[in-house]
Amino acid sequence: MPQTAFRFEDLAVGDDVLSVSRVVTSDDVKRYADASGDQNPLHQDEDFARGVGFPGIIAHGMFTMGHLATSLTDRLGDPSGLKRLAVQFRAPVFMGETIVAEARVKALDPRTRTAVLDVWVRVERGGTTEYPIRKSEAVVGFAES
Amino acid sequence: MNAALEGKVYPDATFTVDEQRVALFRQAVGEAGPVVPPTFATVAEFAVMPFIVGDAELGLDFTRVVHAEQEYEWHRPFRMGEALTVRSRIASIRQKAGNGFLTIETEVRDQGGDLVVVARATMIERAA
Repeated sequence: MPQTAFRFEDLAVGDDVLSVSRVVTSDDVKRYADASGDQNPLHQDEDFARGVGFPGIIAHGMFTMGHLATSLTDRLGDPSGLKRLAVQFRAPVFMGETIVAEARVKALDPRTRTAVLDVWVRVERGGTTEYPIRKSEAVVGFAES
Repeated sequence: MNAALEGKVYPDATFTVDEQRVALFRQAVGEAGPVVPPTFATVAEFAVMPFIVGDAELGLDFTRVVHAEQEYEWHRPFRMGEALTVRSRIASIRQKAGNGFLTIETEVRDQGGDLVVVARATMIERAA
């Protein structure tokens, strides 16, 4: 997997083009709550989280989506390249876990220099792979090279 | 949740792409570069979100809410320091197997009236 920014010409349908890991800490999640304005106690208060049926606080879905989007734009080398991102949140993320943002090329349009990517975020938990984000899609555009 | 509120438009909020807020957000999402992260759009959504969550007429029980889906369509990148207008409306309210599904569509426009980003957030109000 190349470490430099992708170029449209290098992409082929089916290519795996991204794999970026991040460990999630309660400090990160608190910082995200303050930065985003989402102060839902589910993401900060252990007792509250247990009271609504989780074993502990969970990361904001948007924290996980933020990691995915940032990983994509860093990889693109151009934040304006990300045109659309649509995700489904399918599993919680607990503190101390490692989330991995990944992407695979689904379709390419040379006329508009646009790629559609299948994107997901996975976490290994108790010997199985869970998908906090799955069945999700990004559309990225490339300037003329 | 009051399904009759489908289509309700909330009052516009103004939102500034504030440099300090961007720096905090960038740190939180792990962006090392000097750019405004695209998902900074979430901060714009939260300029209106408290008025939806706190809307007595809607009657959403936020303690039972989980985020189910999120979509952004970016029309152009954010510019540091710019003032934007945020308008949210309830795009749909559905009930399925005792759970309520609420979709909020938010348009973020610049001072010229041009779209910067459109956000769609779907939340589930889990069965009590």
